[in-house]
Amino acid sequence: MSTKKILLAGTMLAMIGLVWLGVVYWMSFFWVSTEVTQGIAQRIFYVHVPAAWTSFLAFGLAALFSGMYLWLRDERLDRAAVSAAEGGMVFATIMLTTGPLWGKIAWGTYWTWEPRLTLTLLLWFIFLGYFLVRSSTENPEKGKRHAAVVAIVGALDIPFIHLSVIWFRSLHPAPVVIKPEGPTLPGDMLTTLLMSLGAFTVLFLGLFLLRYSLENLRSELDTRSRHASV
Amino acid sequence: MREYGTVTAVDGIDLSLARGEFLTIFGPNGAGKTSLLALLAGALRPNCGQVWLRGETLDFGEVEWRHRIGVLSHQGFLYGHLSAEENLRFYGQLFGLSDLDDVVNHKLQHLGLQDRAGSLVRDLSHGMKQRLALARALLHDPDIVLLDEPYTGLDPSAAIVLQGVLSDLKDGQRTIVMVTHNLTEGLALATTAAIMNRGRFVWQGKRAEIEGDFGQFYYGVIEGEE
Amino acid sequence: MRNYLKQIRTILWKDLLVEFRTRERLIAMGAFVVLVAILFNYATDWARVSPEDIASGLVWMTIMFAGLLGVGRTFHLEAEDGAFQGILLSPVPKDAIFIAKALANFVFLYIVALLVVGVFIFFFGLEVGGSFGMLTLVIALGVLAFVALGTLFTAVSTGTRMGDTLLPVLIFPLLAPVVIYGTGATSQFLAGRPVTEAEGSIRMLAAFALTAFFLGSWLFRFVVED
Repeated sequence: MSTKKILLAGTMLAMIGLVWLGVVYWMSFFWVSTEVTQGIAQRIFYVHVPAAWTSFLAFGLAALFSGMYLWLRDERLDRAAVSAAEGGMVFATIMLTTGPLWGKIAWGTYWTWEPRLTLTLLLWFIFLGYFLVRSSTENPEKGKRHAAVVAIVGALDIPFIHLSVIWFRSLHPAPVVIKPEGPTLPGDMLTTLLMSLGAFTVLFLGLFLLRYSLENLRSELDTRSRHASV
Repeated sequence: MREYGTVTAVDGIDLSLARGEFLTIFGPNGAGKTSLLALLAGALRPNCGQVWLRGETLDFGEVEWRHRIGVLSHQGFLYGHLSAEENLRFYGQLFGLSDLDDVVNHKLQHLGLQDRAGSLVRDLSHGMKQRLALARALLHDPDIVLLDEPYTGLDPSAAIVLQGVLSDLKDGQRTIVMVTHNLTEGLALATTAAIMNRGRFVWQGKRAEIEGDFGQFYYGVIEGEE
Repeated sequence: MRNYLKQIRTILWKDLLVEFRTRERLIAMGAFVVLVAILFNYATDWARVSPEDIASGLVWMTIMFAGLLGVGRTFHLEAEDGAFQGILLSPVPKDAIFIAKALANFVFLYIVALLVVGVFIFFFGLEVGGSFGMLTLVIALGVLAFVALGTLFTAVSTGTRMGDTLLPVLIFPLLAPVVIYGTGATSQFLAGRPVTEAEGSIRMLAAFALTAFFLGSWLFRFVVED
């Protein structure tokens, strides 16, 4: 597919995602019923959970593309990996800011060592390393390869981190935490959540394609200016 | 071809070398000489193109063909805290040499290092270190020898030793590639020569084709490029 | 296969020999460990907490930081005279290089980790009792995981402008499971609970260490490629 088509597809998806997100906001503010025990603050959950899901999807894609890049050494795979990783950072940051905001109101404390929250925080740092390696390696090609190694090790480390933070929790029970998910979720809340999951996913895919075509254009510009200077 | 990000270091070089050939590649700094040598040594993965060795392509994951290539650069690849003998034994074991004691002793003797075999490399004089580096590069008796600016920083006595060793190597059985910007030393043993600039060979020919003042010719070729 | 093991042994032995001669890394890490323990003494109100309560966490964090100090220097020795290039140009598979370097780091860090336990027993009267054997096993597994990721990512960080300062950012998030299961098992031992209770943690540590080791030996080739 040409860069132009990808750019177009990305713009379309991002637009759809934004409109869809507007609908989700309307639903979560005006349509869905208020959760009884947690009150109004619980509505942040419609941003928090989809952001978490999207960041995991994005980091997973980044690791997948990184592995394929090391295998096939196609520059486009590296561009896809970095685009996905950037998206992952954005959505993980959303997850990590909405979590404590909600926590302060719901549980009276900003931070709890809730396993998924902890895992996301560690993932955020793993991918911070990914970007630092990329930007601070002298030889850009080496930087791409090294960053890909970070992404792959990070992805394969996730199950261990996940199990260990859960195990830690079982060892040190935290103050009361209300589990938001589960089959007990009333119908309208579930609808809103699913709608929001859809909106975030589409928005991410749109941003991902936009970012990817930007990288493509950038490298094309690089090649052209190089040929012009020779 | 080899690119570094936006820089193309080696570009469109088609080179075939026969047994017994001694090729010297001249060129200004940044011409891509060292990168070309690294490609030939299999230390650098080409972005496109291939290196063939006796009818087989070099596979990056394989290591067997490394037994046949010896590399000498202006760095010695030596450990300061190991003795001269330990350094040679270390590399000999990595190369899986079977008659290690004989080879090491012979090399030390050949290069006049037998008296300093037990000294740590950091205590050796500069010239001694360079001889040891030469012994290390040729320890496994490679049939392809790659030399990256070997004369850089050599003291006169070590340069004479190097010259002697190189003319011994030119026994018709090996292929030797040397990269240098020193015209006299580069031409002394070459059977063929090439001039490289901006990643390309701008001139390539037999030693016998070079008549008159090579220096003037060299500068003529480089300046014609600019 | 025999050659492969011999190559690993050669590189490992070389690292141990050089360290034995310079003692740089062991002295630095050892001094660090003792000094940290001295500072811990003044940073903690021992009238209110007993060593058993917090020792497991302190022991593991000290090992982590000391390890960072030692592992960060894995490739400095080789960088001196380009020696690492010499190893890369020899017919040694990249995974063998990784295994040898990681095992050398393991030896150094394991010695230091046992010193950490000794220092806590000596300074703070920590009661290890009958679980000493299991404790050394848990520490061995944790150290193995540490050196596997540490060796891989030191090779990454050495190539960056940030150098060793990047290393903790890269490996600490990845090592969270080691700290969690390591301190978990250790505090169970120190509390005098039966070994069977820590079995799950030990299994997870072992699984993590092996995974990290295999990942490292597989991915190392992409890191050292030029």
